Amino acid sequence: MNTAKSRSPARYLGNALVLGVLVLLALPMEAVAHGERAQLASMRMRTLHWFDIEVSPVRVNVGDTIVITGKFIPSEFWPEQLPSVTDTAFLNVGAPGPKFIRVHSEVNGVPMIRSTAFEPGKLYEFKSVVRARVPGRYHIHPLLNVKDAGTLVGKGSWVEVEPSPTGEPFTNEITTLTGETVDLENVGLKSVIGWHLVWILVGVAFLAYWLAKPELFIPRYMRVRNLGPEQANTMITRRDFLAGGIFFTISMVLILAGYLWAEHKYPVTIPLQTGKVGVPGRPVPSGPLVVEVENANYELAGRSLTMRMKLANEGDSPIEIREFVTANIRFINGPAAAAGVVENEELVAGDSLHSSVSTIAPGQHVDVVLRAEDSLWETQRMTGLIHDPDSRFAGLLVYRDAEGKRYYQEVGGSILPKFF
Amino acid sequence: MANIALPAPRITDASGHYDLSILDNPRARSYYRRFDGILIIVLFSFLALGISIHYALTAGDWDYWIDWRDRRWWPLVTPLSLMMFIGGFVYPIWKAFRLPVIATAVTTLLCLVSWVSRYFNFGQFTDFPLSFTFPSTYIGLGVIFDSVLIMTRSLLISAIVGPFLFGALIWPLNWPLFAASKVPVEYSGTLVSVADLMGYQYIRTTTPEYLRIIEESTLRTFGGSVTPLTAVFSAFVAVIGYSLFLLLGAALYNFAGRYARRII
Repeated sequence: MNTAKSRSPARYLGNALVLGVLVLLALPMEAVAHGERAQLASMRMRTLHWFDIEVSPVRVNVGDTIVITGKFIPSEFWPEQLPSVTDTAFLNVGAPGPKFIRVHSEVNGVPMIRSTAFEPGKLYEFKSVVRARVPGRYHIHPLLNVKDAGTLVGKGSWVEVEPSPTGEPFTNEITTLTGETVDLENVGLKSVIGWHLVWILVGVAFLAYWLAKPELFIPRYMRVRNLGPEQANTMITRRDFLAGGIFFTISMVLILAGYLWAEHKYPVTIPLQTGKVGVPGRPVPSGPLVVEVENANYELAGRSLTMRMKLANEGDSPIEIREFVTANIRFINGPAAAAGVVENEELVAGDSLHSSVSTIAPGQHVDVVLRAEDSLWETQRMTGLIHDPDSRFAGLLVYRDAEGKRYYQEVGGSILPKFF
Repeated sequence: MANIALPAPRITDASGHYDLSILDNPRARSYYRRFDGILIIVLFSFLALGISIHYALTAGDWDYWIDWRDRRWWPLVTPLSLMMFIGGFVYPIWKAFRLPVIATAVTTLLCLVSWVSRYFNFGQFTDFPLSFTFPSTYIGLGVIFDSVLIMTRSLLISAIVGPFLFGALIWPLNWPLFAASKVPVEYSGTLVSVADLMGYQYIRTTTPEYLRIIEESTLRTFGGSVTPLTAVFSAFVAVIGYSLFLLLGAALYNFAGRYARRII
C-alpha cells in the first residue's frame, strides 16, 4: 500500500515540482534583458540609426561622472503608421532606475532638459553626462522616448560603479535662484514628514473617537433599523456633533496655518515648467557617393542581408565601403579592430560585410552586391524580419575616401526573404 | 465544553424591529465587540487595498512624482479619484450604521499604505529619494468631509458641502509639502523648479518629460489666477463625482440589502 502510494504520479509530479523550484532558486541569473531585442526588427531598422556611441569611463566611484556621446539620424523610412520624432521626443538614459543622476544632456549643443522634435534624414550629435549614485554593475544606454510611439534604445555598455572611497553618502546639492543651497536627496523632506505626522495624528484621533464607541456594527445596525430613517439621525449625539465641530475647526485651522507657514518660508515659487525646445538638425555628410538600392533579400539560412545597388562616385577620390549599420549592429568590412571599436562596445561584427566591388573609382558607376552576414542577425532577433507585417528595411551605409574621411547615408527599401 | 453560541438578534414584530434587550446582555455585547474588531480589520484592509489600487489606476503618476503635482491637473484629478471611491462607501455605512468615518478612514489608510509603498518600492527597491516620491496628504480633507456629515446629519447637504471643501482645499492643505519643490532654479540656461530638476536628474527610463500631464501655457488664463480657479472647478467636479458614486453606492446597497437583511 505504502509502496504504491510512494510511486503515484501525483507524488512524482510533486517531487519534480519541488526539485524544479530548488533548481531555479539555486541558479539565479543576472537580469540583462533591457528590451533592445523586443521590438520588431523592421521597426528597429527604420526608426533611428544610432552610431558612434561611446560610454566613458566604464569604471567609476559613486559621485564620479560618466559621459555618453554619440550620434543618431531619424530614418527617412520611418513607418507612416508610427507616431514620429517630428512631433515630440525626449533624449533619455536607459538605466535600472536612478542609479545615476543626469547632470547634463544636449543635442547639437542645445540643452535637452525638456522635450523636443527631430527631423528625419538629419544628423544629431548628443551628449549625456551622468553621475554615479548607487554602487553596482549596470547596463546603460542612450535612448529616445517618442511620444505615442515608444522608446528607441541605443547601444548599451556595462558600467561598474564602486562605493565612494571616502565612504560619504551621495549628495546632490544645487543652488536655487533665491540663493539657497539644497540637497535634492532630501530637500523639504523634514517638513513633509512633520506635516504627515500631524495629519496622521488628526486622522487616527478622529477614527479612534468613533471606533472606540462601545457599540459599532451589529448594535448600531439594530438601532438604526428600529429607529427608522427619520429618527436614525438621533444616533449622532450632541457629543458627536461637538466632536465633529472640533475636528472640523482643527482641520481648517491647520490647513490655514500650514498654507501661511509655507508662503512665509517659500515666498518665491514658480509653477512646474514644461514646453518643447527646438534643435536644428545638421546635414548628413553623405559625400560624393550616389546610392540607388535596386533590391534586397534576407536569407534565413545564411543569416545575411544582401543588397543590390547602383553606386556612382561623383567625387575626385576613390570610395571604399566600410560598414553597414542597422538596428545598432555594426557589420564591418574587414577586421573590427580597424573600425574604431570602443571599450566595452557591443554588437560589432567584424569581417561581416562583403562587397562585390572593393573600391569605387572617381566618376565610376557600378553595380554592387553588398552582403551583411553574421550570427547577430539571429541573436539580436533580426530574423523576425520575415514575420514583420511590412517587409522593408533601412540602415546606414558608411564609407570613406582615400584620405580616410568618413561619410555615411541612409539606404533602404523593400526586402524579400529567401527561405532556402 | 463552554457554550460559545452567539445570542442572535431577534426580530420581534412584522415591521422588522429588533428586540434591543439583547444589547443589555453582557455576553452578547462581548461577542458583538469582538465582531466589531474583526469587521474593522476586514473593512479597513479592504479599504486600504481598494483605495491603493483605485488611486494607482486613476491618479497614480500624479501622486508618485513631485514633478507631476502641478497647480492645474493634480488638484483636479486627485479629489475626483478619491471622491469616486469614498462616494461608493459612504451611503451603505451611513445608512446601515450611521458611522461617518469613511472619508477619514480612506484618506488615512491611503496615506499609510502610500508611505509603505514609497519607502519600500520607490526608495529601498529602486533607489528614488523620498523627497521626490513622498505621498501627498488628504487626511485633513477626509476629516472635514466626515465632520460635515456629522454636523449636518444629511447625505444631501454633505454631498454638496463635503466634496466642495474636499476639492477646494486640496491645494492649500498640501502646499506646506510642495512649496519647497516649487522654488526656481536656473539649470543649463533654463528656468526650472526644484521639482522639474529632480524629474530631470533622477532617471526614469519610461517616464519622459513630455509624459507629464501638467499645466501648459494657454490664452485662457483668467488673469493668471490658476490656483484659485482650479480650486473652484475642482470643487464642482468633486461634487459631481461624489454624487454619482453616492448614487451608485445607494443602488448597490439597496439591491444587496434585501439579501443581507435576511442574513443579519
